[in-house]
Amino acid sequence: MDVNNLGVGSGIYLDNNATTRIDPKVIEAMMPYFETYYGNASSQHGFGVPVEKAIKKAREQVADFLGAKYPDEIIFTSCASESDNTVLWSSLWTQKDKDEIVTTKVEHPAIIDTCSFLADRGVKVKYLSANSVGDFDEEEFKSLLSDKTALASIMWANNETGNIYPVPRFAEIAKERGIMFHTDAVQAVGKIPINLQETKIDLLSMSGHKIHAPKGIGALYVRRGTRFLPFLHGGHQERGRRAGTENVPYIVGLGVACELAKSHLEELNTRVRALRDKLEQGIVNTIPEVIVTGDKTHRTPNTLNVAFKFVEGEAILLMLNEYGIAASSGSACSSESLEPSHVMQAMGIPFSAAHGTIRFSLSRFTTEEEIDKTLAVLPAIIERLRQLSPYWNVNKPQVKQADHLFDPDSQEVRA
Amino acid sequence: MWDYSDKVKDHFLHPRNARVMEDANAVGDVGSIICGDALRLMLKINPVTQVIEDASFQTYGCGSAIASSSALTEMIIGKTVEEAEKITNQQIADYLGGLPPEKMHCSVMGREALDAAIANYHGKSYEQSHDDGEIVCHCFGVGINKIKKAVWENHLTTVEEVTNYTKAGGGCMSCHMRIEEIIDEVWVDLERCGVPRPGHAPTPIPSIKIKTVSSNAQASFDSATENSPFKAEILKILADVQGGLPAGSKVELVAIEDHNVKVKLQGEIAQGMMREMTLSFVEKKLVALDDKFKVVGV
Repeated sequence: MDVNNLGVGSGIYLDNNATTRIDPKVIEAMMPYFETYYGNASSQHGFGVPVEKAIKKAREQVADFLGAKYPDEIIFTSCASESDNTVLWSSLWTQKDKDEIVTTKVEHPAIIDTCSFLADRGVKVKYLSANSVGDFDEEEFKSLLSDKTALASIMWANNETGNIYPVPRFAEIAKERGIMFHTDAVQAVGKIPINLQETKIDLLSMSGHKIHAPKGIGALYVRRGTRFLPFLHGGHQERGRRAGTENVPYIVGLGVACELAKSHLEELNTRVRALRDKLEQGIVNTIPEVIVTGDKTHRTPNTLNVAFKFVEGEAILLMLNEYGIAASSGSACSSESLEPSHVMQAMGIPFSAAHGTIRFSLSRFTTEEEIDKTLAVLPAIIERLRQLSPYWNVNKPQVKQADHLFDPDSQEVRA
Repeated sequence: MWDYSDKVKDHFLHPRNARVMEDANAVGDVGSIICGDALRLMLKINPVTQVIEDASFQTYGCGSAIASSSALTEMIIGKTVEEAEKITNQQIADYLGGLPPEKMHCSVMGREALDAAIANYHGKSYEQSHDDGEIVCHCFGVGINKIKKAVWENHLTTVEEVTNYTKAGGGCMSCHMRIEEIIDEVWVDLERCGVPRPGHAPTPIPSIKIKTVSSNAQASFDSATENSPFKAEILKILADVQGGLPAGSKVELVAIEDHNVKVKLQGEIAQGMMREMTLSFVEKKLVALDDKFKVVGV
């Protein structure tokens, strides 16, 4: 096994919140739209007909998956980031008397970075804070809303901790005040049941590649009656709400992926949840000084975020990768930024733990054997890195000449 | 994923000298859990020969931090303290077959641990031996001296590079302007030492004309002039005279032959009566120094 060249059939993939394996059934459904049906859906001839039909079917599949009342409430986009950007801009363009956005400190960069971009250009952005398990306070949310609020945007599930937020409730609160409500549901769809008809949610973003469709396709739900202006201007595609010739094979793939996600929802909440719980229990029982972050009572069934104190996340990932095991880390070193993840910071996770957070995220392709293998190697990896760490002093001799103590709770910075 | 060299991976997966050395006589502690990396370097220095006979480390940090620590111990074992002190962070990185630019701070941390250990060996506390100077980056607690050293040793030209090497500026970014100023300050000195600043053109400030001094002002003189015991004083007198001349005029030393001083005049003073007046004025000044002086215009 070449650990720097992994794919289907090799390695253990526990990073499904980053992206997922494309389901072979999705690829199968897409192929005719590469090989045979290359027409343009807008064409007035026989080449356009099968393509137009395929898009219509995919739109119905996505609408059905999300519980949207009408298929035309679904707009295909290139990714969830595009959906998020569209919503933020559209809410401001369509309500000229409003210039405030209410969101949270633990959103995905597609929301949080776009908001800070808008904030630099005069939009007032208010951030809902998270408590130590990453949850929000309903009263604080109410206090942030005002008659100047153009949009409230709260993610449905968090990518790092897996926390599921009471988004339908937040949508009701916003609606009572006549405020447009959006949710970034990228990490929620396919993991928890969603029925938009029964909620007051106006707008929802989702991505294909988190639910076993390919990268480069996403969707935006826009409830009928919601003020909307397109982000991309040009052709009349998507009822004039998103210009650009439809990405037909990917739209077909997204439709099939949604149908599959719906049929596997039960499996995710039983078999996959049991595997996640087994992984969690295995870690907590065999490795000392670990913290499971997030709200253990309201988590997506596939996500486990653990902080291994006194060791650094990137080092853990590198060692896991030697065994072909893929996960991700909120540590500073594993990203281009030098600070630990903004989600861990918002939750007030101490630095001694935040740098050592590892996220394991499972999927319907995860097997029990893979979880067992992970549990077999993880304790030794953590033990080995702790043996190297000056913050871990269990069973280690003292150095007489040392005039300083490495204290994990200290705020000191040397050199 | 980071693109680490095979040597970095090897030192990370099989770290050399990773252990606690109970009887070390030099211990250097640097880093912090806040920054996400920390290193304790332990040395056994022979007090007679000053040779580093053994070195070991304990490191909290990413793959490249562990690899840099491991490499450092291999590099210094067998060296004298004096020799070890000459190792630069770039040499640590080179030893590992290079580090990704964002990870250069790991090699800097290794270098600092060595400084701290040597200070500890000499009985100095970290605080005594360490002068951070003005704290520039408050997010990561980086002082001006560390930034200046990194810029000086590695010829850094951008804030991004400074962040890669020292972490300074990697948090709230409010110190970026200050870091730019520090880079400029260090480069003034580097350029004086003959290091050309890559791609640097000073930003022209509109509506302010900067007067430039022509570079041939320091023209070379013949050996008789160079060796003249009066050269410095004559140049000073000419500079004083120059200060009183009308704009566009210039008086320059050409040569000193014993007590005959040849000068070149330029501009309106080079003609007619002005010429005679200037030459006699200069001669008068020189005679005050030594009455044998004669001034000749060329």
